[in-house]
Amino acid sequence: MADLHDEIKREIADNTILVYGKGTKDAPRCGFTAETIQFFNAFGYPFAVVDVLENMPKRQALSEQTDWQTLPKVFIAGQFYGDTDILEPMAKSGELAKLLEKSFEGKGVTPSIQLR
Amino acid sequence: MIDAVITAMLRETMPDAEVRVYDMTGTMDHLEVFVRTKAFQGISPLDRHRMVEKALAPARADGRIHALQIRTATPEDTNG
Repeated sequence: MADLHDEIKREIADNTILVYGKGTKDAPRCGFTAETIQFFNAFGYPFAVVDVLENMPKRQALSEQTDWQTLPKVFIAGQFYGDTDILEPMAKSGELAKLLEKSFEGKGVTPSIQLR
Repeated sequence: MIDAVITAMLRETMPDAEVRVYDMTGTMDHLEVFVRTKAFQGISPLDRHRMVEKALAPARADGRIHALQIRTATPEDTNG
């Protein structure tokens, strides 16, 4: 079990925006995963999608770690943010744009889409 | 009907809850639920979401709810 948590810890540390979901970025296999991909595409920052659809032990470890039973699960700069139910109000208030800017500061990454 | 079931489940722990259920796909199991209650005052969005999921766990477990979008508010919030 420990190696699962290490694997998760590494994935979270290696990706400023990380989405655990069903399917891949190019082939999402669940509506909410697809919606989350479109959501982050609109910001223009790089993000990773890790497919855990078939990996029940990893899904269980993630659910326990986050006290959150569903997928997708989104992490930004190492922090858990749930899914678009949580992120959409943050996007509307402008909080998310600020968070993303801060999270990518000093990483030499500028969003491919300029935010108004 | 699923909306009555959901409202009853939520009111077990949030008796004052105003609940609106929207069927997203016509199959009555891909739902959006809006919940307004005093119980959310001072509670983070993530924890509000956890409170709703915990209250609806039985309907999740037996498949009555397949997909769920949750929006939350307190009586003071103007949204929703």
